[in-house]
Amino acid sequence: MSDNTTTTDTNASTDVNADTIIDTFPRVSLTPDSEYIETIELPAEPANTVPTAEVLRPELAEPYPHNLFSHQADALNALETGNNVAVTTSTSSGKTHIYGLQIARNLLDAGVLNPDGTRASEQNDASTALCVYPMKALTKDQQEALDDLYDQLGLDIRVEIYDGDTQDGRREIREQADVILTNFAGLNLYLEHHDKWSRFYSALNLIAIDESHTYTGIEGMHVAWILRRLQRVADYWGGDPQYVLTSATIGNPRDHSEELINAPVTVIDDDGSPHGPRDVILWNPPPRDKTRDSTPEEESFDIDIDDGTDMEEDDEEFVAERVPASVEAPKVFNHLTSHDIRTLLFCESRKLTELSIQRANEHRQNNPREYDRSTTVGREAYNAGLGRRTRHSREHQFKNGVLTGLATTSALELGIDIGSLDATVLMGYPGQRQSFWQRIGRAGREASRSLAVLVGDHRTLDQYILTHPEYLLENDVEDAVVDTSNNSVFATHVLAAADEIALDESDIGTFADEDRLRAAVKMWREAGFVDGYLDAAVHYSGPSRPQTRVNLYGTTGTDYRLQLADNVDRDKWGLPDDLDLEPIEQNRAYRDYHEGAVRLQNGQQFEVVNLDEDRPQPIIELKPVNCEYYTRTRNKVNVLDAESEESREVNGFMLHFGRGTVLVHHHSYDQLYIGNSDPKQQAIPTETPPILMDTQLCWVEVPEDVETALSRKYQDYGIETGVDPENTGIAHLGYIAGLHAAEHATIQTAPLELRVDKNDLGGLATLVMDTHYSHPEYDDITDSIGDSFEAATHALEQRTQELTGRTASGWFIYDGVDGGLGFARAIYENFEALAERARDQLRDCHCGQPNGCPACTFDENCGNDNKPLLRASAIDVLNQLLGDDTRDDLAEHLPDDEHSGDRRPVVFYS
Amino acid sequence: MTGDSDWTTDGDTPLELLTLPASTLDRVSQPAVRDAIQYFNPGLITIPGARTPTAEATARDAAPDIPVLHPQLGRGGNRVHHFRYSPDAGVHESPDAAPPPGTIDILAVQSGDVLPQLQTQLASGERQTGSEAATFLFAPKLTVDWDTTTLSTTLPHADQLAAISATLPEPVTVLAGGQPAEYYHEWELPHNHSSVHVPISGLGATEHSGAMFAQYTCTPRGTIAAEAVDADQFGLRALNGVGQSTAQRLRKQGCQTTSDVQNLAISTLTDLPGIGQTTAEKIHAHADVIHSGEPIVLTNKTPVKTRDDRPPLCLDIETDGLSPTIIWQLGVYDPATDTHQAFIEKQHPKDPKPVLEAFITWFIANHQDRTVLTWNGYKFDYPHISQFLEQHLPEYVDAWEDVWTYDLYKWAVRDGNALLPGRTNKLDHVARALGYDSAGTGLTGAQTAAAYQEFMRNPDSPVAELDWERHKTYCEDDCRALWHVYQAITNATRRDMTDSGTGGATGQQAGLTDF
Repeated sequence: MSDNTTTTDTNASTDVNADTIIDTFPRVSLTPDSEYIETIELPAEPANTVPTAEVLRPELAEPYPHNLFSHQADALNALETGNNVAVTTSTSSGKTHIYGLQIARNLLDAGVLNPDGTRASEQNDASTALCVYPMKALTKDQQEALDDLYDQLGLDIRVEIYDGDTQDGRREIREQADVILTNFAGLNLYLEHHDKWSRFYSALNLIAIDESHTYTGIEGMHVAWILRRLQRVADYWGGDPQYVLTSATIGNPRDHSEELINAPVTVIDDDGSPHGPRDVILWNPPPRDKTRDSTPEEESFDIDIDDGTDMEEDDEEFVAERVPASVEAPKVFNHLTSHDIRTLLFCESRKLTELSIQRANEHRQNNPREYDRSTTVGREAYNAGLGRRTRHSREHQFKNGVLTGLATTSALELGIDIGSLDATVLMGYPGQRQSFWQRIGRAGREASRSLAVLVGDHRTLDQYILTHPEYLLENDVEDAVVDTSNNSVFATHVLAAADEIALDESDIGTFADEDRLRAAVKMWREAGFVDGYLDAAVHYSGPSRPQTRVNLYGTTGTDYRLQLADNVDRDKWGLPDDLDLEPIEQNRAYRDYHEGAVRLQNGQQFEVVNLDEDRPQPIIELKPVNCEYYTRTRNKVNVLDAESEESREVNGFMLHFGRGTVLVHHHSYDQLYIGNSDPKQQAIPTETPPILMDTQLCWVEVPEDVETALSRKYQDYGIETGVDPENTGIAHLGYIAGLHAAEHATIQTAPLELRVDKNDLGGLATLVMDTHYSHPEYDDITDSIGDSFEAATHALEQRTQELTGRTASGWFIYDGVDGGLGFARAIYENFEALAERARDQLRDCHCGQPNGCPACTFDENCGNDNKPLLRASAIDVLNQLLGDDTRDDLAEHLPDDEHSGDRRPVVFYS
Repeated sequence: MTGDSDWTTDGDTPLELLTLPASTLDRVSQPAVRDAIQYFNPGLITIPGARTPTAEATARDAAPDIPVLHPQLGRGGNRVHHFRYSPDAGVHESPDAAPPPGTIDILAVQSGDVLPQLQTQLASGERQTGSEAATFLFAPKLTVDWDTTTLSTTLPHADQLAAISATLPEPVTVLAGGQPAEYYHEWELPHNHSSVHVPISGLGATEHSGAMFAQYTCTPRGTIAAEAVDADQFGLRALNGVGQSTAQRLRKQGCQTTSDVQNLAISTLTDLPGIGQTTAEKIHAHADVIHSGEPIVLTNKTPVKTRDDRPPLCLDIETDGLSPTIIWQLGVYDPATDTHQAFIEKQHPKDPKPVLEAFITWFIANHQDRTVLTWNGYKFDYPHISQFLEQHLPEYVDAWEDVWTYDLYKWAVRDGNALLPGRTNKLDHVARALGYDSAGTGLTGAQTAAAYQEFMRNPDSPVAELDWERHKTYCEDDCRALWHVYQAITNATRRDMTDSGTGGATGQQAGLTDF
């Protein structure tokens, strides 16, 4: 840190008035009344408290320094009567104290503590508690919080962390701690040696699950089964735990909690804690000037001051393109932090946290009239890709005021204590209300005013949110998905459970349903992984440590290590011996670390010079570079061997849910200028093979009469779909462009209905649905294609010829993680609601373009460069599906004779 | 696979069948293959897995006098290979004549597609097998598939396997080339509206289970017991301290076998990269151990401490599986009196308390001051005894904790205090290499556990009842084998390694619970 760095006083009250912020922002004619800015004031909430003595015994009530908030009192009362509780009140509403105080009561009741708080005996065989956190950093934080609480109460309670970082005294912790803090990845492994934990489990009477909403999707499934295994072990040793689940933001606390712990819960959601007023600014970036040359010149870095001056005349017009949030948000971040406002900027990727710091600094440099150039502002990037030491140091620096701003990924979304802050900036809508509230909830202290700025991106969801803020304000947050019906995940935990304690008939109904448990045991017995039968005992007999098969994060399991290339001169680049970077998993390696990729790490650009997979732990070699671009990959996708497990009919459309193989190929990449994300060079091959995912899919088959009519209705469409003139000859182009647009729109609006990140979903529109199915009379295509995407495409063409006369058109939506996340199932179940959202989006967009725009049909992940797309035919298809149009509406387009039309081409668009 | 009733009838006549998976043969040197064949001394060799002429040539060259089965190479009319075995005649390719009824037949098919043809031949009598001794059907690439999304398995060619089983009067055991060597499952396969019982044993040609060689003891009753040994335990790599690259360098110098190493000067070894004085001496010592069959002790530490002059009690337990619900047998051999005491639960297989109580009260009353010795007890016997006491007899937990307990396996192998002959660290292999004369129950640990599991399921059925004497003898045999190994170690030559300062350290194995 140089001497002239400003340091913020972390305790100073800062003026975070929204109008002032907008007025002082260096952009001509930007005012709080501007078309693209909207400020919403969320009112303050007063506290609702209960005298502590009404709830707690005098030993605890007297030293406790506050009254209890009403929800704390409710929760403690529910626990007193033996219930499990799920507490869903706001950030900083004292949820930790709920289980902290319950633990204290348990220890006093059990006689481990004397009424005066001293220990009645060294040994504690009577009352223990387990607290589980989603991140190690949070665990450390909460240990301090519990220690502080017990200091205040004068209680001698041993709170210990037991996780992968615990080096010494593990045995002492197991044998002596009153409270153990850990995480589910660790717990999954520790269960194997439960006999070493016999004291702890025999006395276990409380399990606290903090930030429980984070256990969703694949991780949620695994956690649900780890908790069932934990319950078996506790039962074995005689423990009888109560559960406390806490979360600031979750839409379905009861269903989610009960699915996780497999027991009823009492929901405590009537928040008694106070908070100050909060201004939420919905900030739409100005239109982008498309007349400029797409190759940036030096000056293009200095456009900020004038940016937006020509906006006014656009007011009533459609805006084709806006400055991306990734460019605009760092400016807002700079503006706030330059005014000493302690701010978190939430970014959607690790790369963007690093880029944002650079862009914020550029904005400061380029606006000398507004910002004092003689000082710098303490701002750093923060993400899980940085090593633990670096992260910890940045947390600390922010907490003590050396840093005024952190550009972070979701890593700081949860309650890690980085001190209080005044403002948050969101780079784009995070995709979920849950995440939106969690992030903006990080700012604000007691009763003072805080600020949140949502800088919208020019894409469907963001534009929808900016124009429909009531969607944020008037709806509950999304549901967290825990799908314990996933057999693959279940089967893995059956092995682990059998290894821990032999399975028998007493596990029927408690651990799993009878049919399912018997089927899983039979399968594993025949496969040679267990022996024995449920009527006696089922023992694990496979390779040791089946717990390591549990993969909480749904990754492939192979980690790629990042290291410097051999010939790099560290001294010249000022690089440390250890880059301190976390390993990455395969899909991420292929997407972001192919040879030629340029990545920013810790403020230094690196080019990937080698991806070496021909060794037990693959490595990625990096070379430091200084270049003016970064890289982004393009992918293509295909679906193979889909097999329907469930189907239903909607107005003649067939919806299916099932499984299949998705082939994703990150085949090429673009180089983009850092300043404005304009392309430098495009479509450079990555040379990496495709990734095969066995996953869950949902798909829709369009009825033949609808297809026939719409194909004819839109048969004259060509370049309107966005394709180049030489590609307009494809038969049914107008129709398939509609399917493609409908596929994009249903994926993009899915987060409006379900707790799903659209980046976890993928899609494929096709005229030859059956070709992508598994057929009993054919071998699966997946088995024959090796590592070749082209072989898959060829095989599909071959299959199309063989399947003449029985194929439909439609589109797939799949879970973008090997094994599936349960999202395709949720989409299958909620398809009509999704289709309606998608239809509204397509119909109501003002872009006026037949092929749509980033706000209605475009998808940044599209493997076909967003071509072809057609709104009108997409709306027609969705209206037919929803029954809002009748078949009669199409009658005029149906041919007179049965046989007509061109042979359907083998085309598919992702 | 329990085969409980055949203890006394066929103990001395089984066929010893060695498998050398094709992919493993690819990875090891020719001298190592010779070493393995010499070690196992099989009657017949099979090569499961992929079709590779090189693998077959390697095996034939290493064992010119032993028949080698690699039916994958066959073509045309030679798609079924048929061998016969009897204790008197050994293994020979079958002539067309009808065999004596007590002959073990080995049928090897080129691929699963040949099974219908084989079934037709067997049904028509065109091909005949000994009707009073088992037939072993070798399918070189057979693999069980499973699908966790549907919780189901698929056994390829199940129909034909069932049909062949049903056709022959004698027991038929299938040898599945593509399954791990540890694999054994008795399948119930549907056949003609009923079901047939088809035991399937794996031969180890899998990608995932490491490079193993395994020998199978095949009895006329159709039972099968496997001894799988890591391929690295043969040839130069059998020597403690010799890895892949050192082995290669030694071979380049013309040093092919462990006896060649015996004749090397220490200085030749220390000239190799990465080999210090201590390691070189240890390599040399280990070569001596393998050839002499005598252990060498490397330190001046003693394996156990006792409170008086009496030797340690040798303890072994039997459970129903690796995550036990009962310790159903506890055997204690007392070398001081040459007596064995066994505690066996024969009445209430689902109640672990009575047998444990009988053991612990007897032990505490009579032997509380004695030292207890086990083989790998720190990982198995002791934690399970403690766990069951904790659960069922907590009043004895402290008394048991006061007993002095030792683990000879840990002392000798994990702590590196001794070099032992034998290619695995399993007690029976070590004891056998040290000249222990086993009681020959023909049982393995997995079999004795499986037999008890069967009893647990049907405690009242006479069929499921164990041959208690045989299982008691099995446990006693382990206790006595332990005593034999202990004596061999205490009587062994001590050879101190020169302390070169650089260690040659036996790096501590990373703890399994380090997370």
